[in-house]
Amino acid sequence: MNLTLDAYAHRDSPLHRWEPRCKLVALLVLLFAFAFVRDLRLLPAMLLVTAGLYAASRLPAALLLSRLRYPGMFLLLFALLVPLLVGSTILLKIGPLALYREGLLFLLLVATRFGAILTVSIVLFGTMPFLTSVRALRALGLPEILADMTLLAYRYLHELGRDLRMMQTAMRLRGFQGRAFSPRNLRMPAALVGSLLVRSYARSERVYQAMILRGYGHESACCASTLVPVTRPDLMALVGTLLVATGFVVGDVLLRTGALV
Amino acid sequence: MSTQPPQPTPAAEGAPGVAPHLLYVTGLSFAYPGRPGLLRDLHLTLQPGERVGVIGPNGAGKTTLFMLLCGVLTPDSGMIRLLERPVTPGTFHPEIGMVFQNPDDQLFCLSVWDDVAFGPQNLGLSRAEVAARVEAALTTTGVRHLAERPPQQLSGGEQRMVAIAGVLALHPRLVIYDEPSANLDIRSRRRLIQFLQASPETLLLASHDLELILEVCDRVLLLDAGQIVGDGRPYVVMGDAALMAAHGLERPATLL
Amino acid sequence: MHLPDGILPVTVCAAGYATGGALTWYALRKINRQANPRARVPQAALLTAAFFVASWIHIPVPPTSVHLILNGLLGVLLGYYAVPAILIGLFFQAVMFQHGGLTTLGVNATMMGLPALLAYVLFRLRFLFGRESRAGTGLAGFLGGAGGLALAVLIFYGLLVTTIPATLDIRMERAAITALALAHIPVVLLEGVFTALVVLFLQRVRPDLLDGASGWTPPVPVAAPDPSLPGIRGADEPHA
Repeated sequence: MNLTLDAYAHRDSPLHRWEPRCKLVALLVLLFAFAFVRDLRLLPAMLLVTAGLYAASRLPAALLLSRLRYPGMFLLLFALLVPLLVGSTILLKIGPLALYREGLLFLLLVATRFGAILTVSIVLFGTMPFLTSVRALRALGLPEILADMTLLAYRYLHELGRDLRMMQTAMRLRGFQGRAFSPRNLRMPAALVGSLLVRSYARSERVYQAMILRGYGHESACCASTLVPVTRPDLMALVGTLLVATGFVVGDVLLRTGALV
Repeated sequence: MSTQPPQPTPAAEGAPGVAPHLLYVTGLSFAYPGRPGLLRDLHLTLQPGERVGVIGPNGAGKTTLFMLLCGVLTPDSGMIRLLERPVTPGTFHPEIGMVFQNPDDQLFCLSVWDDVAFGPQNLGLSRAEVAARVEAALTTTGVRHLAERPPQQLSGGEQRMVAIAGVLALHPRLVIYDEPSANLDIRSRRRLIQFLQASPETLLLASHDLELILEVCDRVLLLDAGQIVGDGRPYVVMGDAALMAAHGLERPATLL
Repeated sequence: MHLPDGILPVTVCAAGYATGGALTWYALRKINRQANPRARVPQAALLTAAFFVASWIHIPVPPTSVHLILNGLLGVLLGYYAVPAILIGLFFQAVMFQHGGLTTLGVNATMMGLPALLAYVLFRLRFLFGRESRAGTGLAGFLGGAGGLALAVLIFYGLLVTTIPATLDIRMERAAITALALAHIPVVLLEGVFTALVVLFLQRVRPDLLDGASGWTPPVPVAAPDPSLPGIRGADEPHA
C-alpha cells in the first residue's frame, strides 16, 4: 500500500526547496484562509492560486487525481443529498424531488473549498519527506512527546502493516473467507486485532529497551539543528503567501458585507 | 554423479506410462512490480512422497516461489498444477499447506486447540470431524498437552509445532516449510528433524540449516537468481564445493 | 466518519482546534505527571500504529463491509495516551490518505478523543465485578466500545445539524440527518461487541495490558550510566 507521499519528496521544484518551517506556516495559514471563504465570487481566485501552487510543485497530475478519488466519494454522498434537501428556491422539479438553488450553490462552495484545501495539503506534505515535516513541526513548538510518538509510530507503521498482511494471508491459506456476517467472522478479526496488539506491545518493550540502552531520556536537545537555515527567498515566499491568504479573508469579508461590488 | 539441472522436458501429462506428478510447474516467471525479474522460466516437478530441500542465498526467491505455489501471488507467466488441477491464485487449496518462517504470523487464536481447529472449520466439517482432526494433529506434533494454552505464551519451538499442527489438520498432500529450524534450540530442532523424518506427506523445505536438509531430504534444489542451478541427491549437490561456493553457500560440515 | 475539509465553517474549525488543543494539553499534563512519562512512549506509539493498521480490517456487514473506528478500544487500552494517539492517527490519515482533513484535525481529534477518555472511564466499571471476571470485563468492554463510538456519532451529527445552512424545510433536513444518525446504531453495537471480543482476548492472553492504562511499570529498570567509564557523559546527567 502506498502509505506516504515520500515517493515524490525528493524531486526538485521551488516548493521542494522552500524551507520546511516557512512552508508549513505559509501553507497552513493559506488552508485556513480557504476554509474562511464563503463568497462564491472568490472561488475562481482560489482555484487559480491552488493550480499555480500545484504547478510550481511539479508534482504529477496523476498523483492529485489518485489522492482525490477516495475522499471524493464522501463528497459524492454530500453532493447527492444537499441539493435535494437544502434551500428554498426550486430550480428543477423531478416528481416529488426538488433541486434547490441554495443547496447547489452550497455544494459548489464546499466542493471547491474541499478540492483546494486537499490540493494544497498534498503540495505541503508531498514536497518534503515525512521525517522533515515532523522535525519542522517540532521546531515550531510541537511538544516532544507528540513528536517522539509520531516518529516511532511512523517508523513501525510499515512493519505492523506487513505483520497484519502476513497474518491475513495465513488465515486465507487456511481457508478463511470472512464474507458473511456471522459470530465467527466477527471473532476471527477480533482475534486478529488482539494478536496484532499483543505483538505490538511485545515489540514496543523491545524497542523501549533498545532506546534506553542507547540513552533515550538522557538527551533533551532535539533535531531542530538539522534543519536547513532560513534564507531571504524563503521568507519572501512566506510573506507573499501570508499576504495572499489575508487577501482572501479580507476580500471575503468585504464582498459579503457589500463594501465591494 | 552429475549435478546439472535436469533438461526441462516435462513429460506430457496423461501420457501412457507416466505417473501423475504431485506438483508440476512449468515456465514460471515472476517479478515484483517495479523490480527486476525474480523468477525466470522455472520448471519443477515433485513426485508424491518426495522430500525436497530448497537451498540458496538470501534473495534467491525461495519465499516468493512458495507464495506462488500456494496461490498467494499471481505468476507473470507459467503454469502450476497440483494433482492435475491448476492452482488458481486467490482460491483456497487445502492440499497445499505452508508453515511460515515466523510462527507468530500464523497463530492468532485464543488457544492452541482453537488455532488448530481453524483450518478444518473453514472446510465446513462437522464438529465431531473437526475435533477428530485437531486431536490427531496435536498428537502427531506432540503438543496435545498444550491444547488449552494461548499460543502467544508458548516458546518458539512449541509455537512452531502448533503452527505445523494447524496446517496438518487440513490434511495437505504437500507441506511447504519456510526456514523450519530458525530460532530453535538444539532440543526443539532435534524434535523437529525427527518429526519431519516421520512425515508421510510430500515435503518442500527451504532452509539455511544444511545439516537439517541432509538429514531429512532425499532431493535438493539449489535456487539462485530465480533459476534452479542444482537438482539431485543432497550429498551430491551440497557436496559439490565449486557449485556451492559459486552461489554463496558452503558445504555442510558433515560433507567436508 | 471523519469530517473532511471544506464542509465546516472556519469558526467551527478554529473552535475545534481550541478544544482539541485543550484536550491534548490536559492529556499531556496528566501524562507528564506520571513517574516515567517517556517510558510509555514506545508503547503508545506502537499501539497508535497498530490501531491505524487495525482500522484497515473489513468487517462484513450486509450488504457491504465497514472499517471500524476503534476509538473506544484505544481509550480502554491507552487511557490518557489515547488523546495523542488519536491526534497522531488522524494526522497520518489526513496526510497519507486525505481521509479526514487538516483544517478539521482539531474537530476530529475532539470528536474521537473525548469519547475515548469516556470509554476508558466506562471500562473501569469492570472493577465492580472483579478483575478476573470474564463477564464483567466483556460487559465493560462493550460499554467502552459502544459508548465511545456513540458519543462520537452524537458529536458528528450535532456538528452537521448546526452547520448545514438553514432551509425552509428544516423538518425534512432534520429528519434526514436523524435517520442517518439512527443508521449508525447497528455500527455502534457492532463496535461494542468487537471491543468486548478484543478485550476478552487480551484478558486471556495478556491481562497486564488491560491494567496498563493505570499504574504501569517500565519493563527494564536501567541504572544510571557509570560516569567513570570512557565515553559516558558526566555524573550530573539525569537518571532514566
